[in-house]
Amino acid sequence: MPVAASAIYFLNLRGDVLINRLYRDDVGGNMVDAFRMHIMQTKELGTCPVRQIGGCSFFYMRISNVYIVIVVSSNANVACAFKFVVEAVALFKSYFGGAFDEDAIRNNFVLIYELLDEIMDFGYPQNLSPEILKLYITQEGVRSPFSSKKPVPNATLQVTGAVGWRREGLAYKKNEVFLDIVESVNLLMSSKGSVLRCDVTGKILMKCFLSGMPDLKLGLNDKIGLEKESQLKNRPTKRYHGKTIELDDVTFHQCVNLTRFNSEKTVSFVPPDGEFELMKYRITEGVNLPFRVLPTIKELGRTRMEVNVKVKSVFGAKMFALGVVIKIPVPKQTAKTSFQVTSGRAKYNASIDCLVWKIRKFPGQTEPTLSAEIELISTIAEKKSWTRPPIQMEFQVPMFTASGLRVRFLKVWEKSGYNTVEWVRYITKAGSYEVRC
Amino acid sequence: MALSGMRGLSVFISDVRNCQNKEQERLRVDKELGNVRTRFKNEKGLSPYEKKKYVWKMLYIYMLGYDVDFGHMEAVSLISAPKYPEKQVGYIVTACLLNENHDFLRLAINTVRNDIIGRNETFQCLALTLVGNIGGREFAESLAADVQKLLISSSCRPLVRKKAALCLLRLYRKNPDVVNVDGWADRMAQLLDERDLGVLTSSMSLLVALVSNNHEAYWSCLPKCVKTLERLARNQDIPQEYTYYGIPSPWLQVKTMRALQYFPTVEDPNTRRSLFEVLQRILMGTDVVKNVNKNNASHAVLFEALALVMHLDAEKEMMSQCVALLGKFIAVREPNIRYLGLENMTRMLMVTDVQDIIKRHQAQIITSLKDPDISIRRRALDLLYGMCDVSNAKDIVEELLQYLSSADFAMREELSLKAAILAEKFAPDLSWYVDVILQLIDKAGDFVSDDIWFRVVQFVTNNEDLQSYAAAKAREYLNKPAIHETMVKVSAYILGEYGHLLARRPGYSPKELFTIIHEKHPTVSTSTIPILLSSYAKILMHTQPPEPELQNQIWTIFNKYESCIDVEIQQRAAEYFALSRKGASLMDILAEMPKFPERQSALIRKAEDAEVDTAEQSAIKLRAQQQMSTALVVTDQRPPNGMPAQPSIGPLSLVKVPSETVDSNPGDQGLTHPNGVVYKEDPQPPSQDIIGDLLGTLSIEGPPGAVAQSPQSATYEAEGAPSAADAAALVPVGEESGSVQPIGNINERFYALCLKDSGVLYEDPNIQIGIKAEWRAHQGRLVLFLGNKNTASLGSVQALILPPTHLKMELSLVPETIPPRAQVQCPLEVMNLRPSRDVAVLDFSYKFGPTMVNVKLRLPAVLNKFLQPITVSPEEFFPQWRSLSGPPLKLQEVVRGVRPLPLPEMANLFNTYRLTVCPGLDPNPNNLVASTTFYSETTRAMLCLVRIETDPADRTQLRMTVASGDPTLTFELKEFIKEQLVSIPTAPQRPQGPAAPPPPVAPASQDPGALLAGLL
Repeated sequence: MPVAASAIYFLNLRGDVLINRLYRDDVGGNMVDAFRMHIMQTKELGTCPVRQIGGCSFFYMRISNVYIVIVVSSNANVACAFKFVVEAVALFKSYFGGAFDEDAIRNNFVLIYELLDEIMDFGYPQNLSPEILKLYITQEGVRSPFSSKKPVPNATLQVTGAVGWRREGLAYKKNEVFLDIVESVNLLMSSKGSVLRCDVTGKILMKCFLSGMPDLKLGLNDKIGLEKESQLKNRPTKRYHGKTIELDDVTFHQCVNLTRFNSEKTVSFVPPDGEFELMKYRITEGVNLPFRVLPTIKELGRTRMEVNVKVKSVFGAKMFALGVVIKIPVPKQTAKTSFQVTSGRAKYNASIDCLVWKIRKFPGQTEPTLSAEIELISTIAEKKSWTRPPIQMEFQVPMFTASGLRVRFLKVWEKSGYNTVEWVRYITKAGSYEVRC
Repeated sequence: MALSGMRGLSVFISDVRNCQNKEQERLRVDKELGNVRTRFKNEKGLSPYEKKKYVWKMLYIYMLGYDVDFGHMEAVSLISAPKYPEKQVGYIVTACLLNENHDFLRLAINTVRNDIIGRNETFQCLALTLVGNIGGREFAESLAADVQKLLISSSCRPLVRKKAALCLLRLYRKNPDVVNVDGWADRMAQLLDERDLGVLTSSMSLLVALVSNNHEAYWSCLPKCVKTLERLARNQDIPQEYTYYGIPSPWLQVKTMRALQYFPTVEDPNTRRSLFEVLQRILMGTDVVKNVNKNNASHAVLFEALALVMHLDAEKEMMSQCVALLGKFIAVREPNIRYLGLENMTRMLMVTDVQDIIKRHQAQIITSLKDPDISIRRRALDLLYGMCDVSNAKDIVEELLQYLSSADFAMREELSLKAAILAEKFAPDLSWYVDVILQLIDKAGDFVSDDIWFRVVQFVTNNEDLQSYAAAKAREYLNKPAIHETMVKVSAYILGEYGHLLARRPGYSPKELFTIIHEKHPTVSTSTIPILLSSYAKILMHTQPPEPELQNQIWTIFNKYESCIDVEIQQRAAEYFALSRKGASLMDILAEMPKFPERQSALIRKAEDAEVDTAEQSAIKLRAQQQMSTALVVTDQRPPNGMPAQPSIGPLSLVKVPSETVDSNPGDQGLTHPNGVVYKEDPQPPSQDIIGDLLGTLSIEGPPGAVAQSPQSATYEAEGAPSAADAAALVPVGEESGSVQPIGNINERFYALCLKDSGVLYEDPNIQIGIKAEWRAHQGRLVLFLGNKNTASLGSVQALILPPTHLKMELSLVPETIPPRAQVQCPLEVMNLRPSRDVAVLDFSYKFGPTMVNVKLRLPAVLNKFLQPITVSPEEFFPQWRSLSGPPLKLQEVVRGVRPLPLPEMANLFNTYRLTVCPGLDPNPNNLVASTTFYSETTRAMLCLVRIETDPADRTQLRMTVASGDPTLTFELKEFIKEQLVSIPTAPQRPQGPAAPPPPVAPASQDPGALLAGLL
């Protein structure tokens, strides 16, 4: 197994070290200064997450207002290192109760040190599962419900056993399963309305409150699964009518039984307790775009501009989108703006050089418009033609999947045979949803 | 402060300061810029207060490093505000945000002008500051006069005049052509009488700029400067506020001395005396004290004073005082002061005569070589290098060698190079030189460039007496267990060549030599193997009769390398192998290497090429001018192949080590050098250096001991003319000048000058001769500009005019020496007596270091210079033409072989020769008619008429008719035109030039010795 980290640093935005942990002594303690000098204080920041300075490699990512930097001096596995960071952050979040930022780190120094000791050993990642770690690393001063019991009897067995992610002997009064399909749409559309790039990245999040050791089976309207199913049953009795979806790049949580997936193409698993991400996928074809944007921007002379933007929602009339924000870029020398909108509110935001149009609730099959007049100030620099950055859009559409993915069934099977309640939700968000103008 | 009360501004600034990171700051700034844009765009307009506030914000944002490309209009409009706070921000922001190329500034010029000529002095100050800061051409054009007026007006307070002086200085620096300073000398002199030190300082800055451009006009300021300096040095009437740590205005002192350095010399004895008094006082009064600031100030003054002393060429006593002072400096602990002391001492080396005094501090300088600070070490090295001469070379080189083993790697290469150069230049005897270089290679093999060991091999090859010594030395080094590869190369080469000389000594038999060389064989790289192979072959050749065992061993090695992947090695192995089987022919081919032709040391060339800083550069240049160490001059005309010299060539000029017997030929002009080295000169020494040396030694009448002191200054200065004559007697001039190659083609320059009145006549690496001519009727005035391109003076400058009979020429006195980087003007009066095409020749010679350069240059006082273009009307022309009928007043000739030229171009050509082409006189469009007036003392003004009839079918021939009232003139003019027509633009050498410089003789590059040396 490759090394993932020689040292890990947590820095705030100014570059001060909040916490660090050296796992190997092949990097000096002052390497972080090199990072600060050569990356954080230059324009390099944010261009490439992997940098090499003086024989050391720096992998960094920014999470809220914290930079997490991993330093290695040998040939490390970069993907492993980043995965480690992501997982560690998820772990910290689950310990801190959701927030991971500078303050959270400052308030939990001891705990973080304890966790850092546990989740990596001599540069090799260890168990990062919050469920397990919470058994024996408890928050200071807070008595964990588990720690009140006698020391966990067979923690080792659990960590090393077949179902390392689930404790035995769980019992819930009400057995419930929540399943969310969250999709984000990435789009780049030309000004003439032709799609240049479009894909959907989706993930299935689950929250299980189930007793015992249940075995779950999930059925989706994906193409391969359906074909395999009809093949196995050898009869087209219960044919699924409707669209079938082709999923690309499917990745599963470790609980999914891959041998069964490979042979039967069914997703069956023993879920961990609580929240987890069951699977991720990507779809590149047959995407239902929720919005169409039709911009017209006219430059009238050197100091005036006219902007007209029409946004059309193309999902069902009964549905609605929430938190729609449309950012229409304007030149830097914008001095005065005046708007007319048919719904929502618009204003000029000088710090991002955009007109920001917000619509809180956006029903389906409607098309609100914005028309703005912009006055520009004259400058001494000879007029550079404005580069016209794309219009950006943010939104959330509940109960809509851009991919058309649907859950056909979610079966729970447990020895005791209790009844379960399954909840399924769909939501589509904007990833980078851009329209050139 | 004007900021008080602008709440928006202070809130904004505190917001920006509270930003956690760059990103937040950018967002805040962009937001504010948006706000400012909106405000400026507001139709209702802004109140002056608001405008001021937003413009301040813009400035603050601009100062944070963000682009602010709007709002300049508002800033400029604030300049015309009536109140101070608004005006101030207007001026400041305009000065910061705009540069001289912005069109917006035009809007401001008028307002600024009003402020300058207005009565309010705060406004005047603001305006002057702005003009000084931006000061574009337009400002200079429209405001310089006003600023000048302000500067000399008596009604202004010193504050304003101070700023006016600085403002004018800025304008003048930027556009010296726009600011009219004609006749400002008196004004400047007046200004220098000023009592207020602030104004005086500013005016002095202005004076420095003015004087640096043209010192001639400001002679009247010189005594005033000296007086100012006197006042400061005596501390008379210096207000407390201008005294800095007890030093009266060091800034003014420095500036004044700087200004004085722009004057070539101080002539007035009184002024000179008082100036020296002041300098003396500064030199005496400066010491090293505890306080850093005081030190800085007083040393700044001191060093400027040193520079001035050097510039003025003060008497020796003062120089020695300077050196003594610097000696005190380099003994101080404080590194900065020590650095300055060393640096200035290096600079002092430029001045002759002080070297001996500097030498007294040698021990101290050597201590500095061990300083922990590398920059000090470098300076010390430079200084040591610069001050080295024959007398102390041994000590210094030994010191450098010792230091080499402990020096930083960064310095070693430079150090070893310098040690090698010094050893070569100043070696008291050759065996010492060989010792030094071998030691050098031993101690710092990695840093010894190939040039260094090539050089030592050259010396050994060229000096027979050295060969066995070197071979023994090389053998000694090979005995050491681990030696550097370069050492292997040198040793193998030398032993291969000369090992046989020692064959009778124990341990030097060919077999033993082979074994010891071959021991090193496994450790060397491919570049060394060819050398090893060569030396094996040589050893084999010297083994007579052949030892079968050794032969077999060597043949095995050759055999092995015959299939080597390296072509060089393979070829050598194969060839040596084949040759060694031939027996006798091996002897011939592998005989001892011929002598190398003498050439400039590659090391010195390398040192000159190397990127060096100024101090170093000056040291090197200085060295270059110095006489080469006479001990190492080796010349030989012996033919290659080791054949004994033919007696007909004359005595060999060999340098012998003292141990050898001195063989002196009766005809030899040998002189014994104090070091015991004998020179003999060859009637045809090939190298320029030799001549210099020979002359140097020959011309010394006194006891030879005098040479050791400062050879070049003693001999060359005093013996300029006779030695030049001697040189001519010894050496053909052409060969001699061949060593200093002229830059550019002399012929081309001459022909160009025949058409123009000013230009460069001659240029070589040392000197440039420019010419500027004015012609009036039969008289002319030429000015020769002799410019010394070097940092050392040129001595024995001589210019002789060899006028043809028809010209009367008078050359004013040419100074014997041309100071470094100076230009000397020599006017030359010319009078034309009668028409002739003969050309005057300038015989010019000078001496650079040991090199005597002599060139013969044709002066462009040619026939056409005495022509005056004239246009004649047909009414004048035809009667004239007819009246001058037939030879000898009218001559006609058909010229063939003319360079084909279109008619308009030919007309142009005639015009450039001052023959006016009169169109329309000849009805035939293929013909040209030209007229001119010729002036000479005998003919006075004489009308000349020319007619050219061309053949459109054959442009290479034409018929020319020339007519004038004088038969000689007609003939000469005809011939002149013919030459010009035939020789356009290729301009071949004209036959009638009495002494056209012979083409530089190419050095005999076919010398086989040189070819072989190239192989090394």
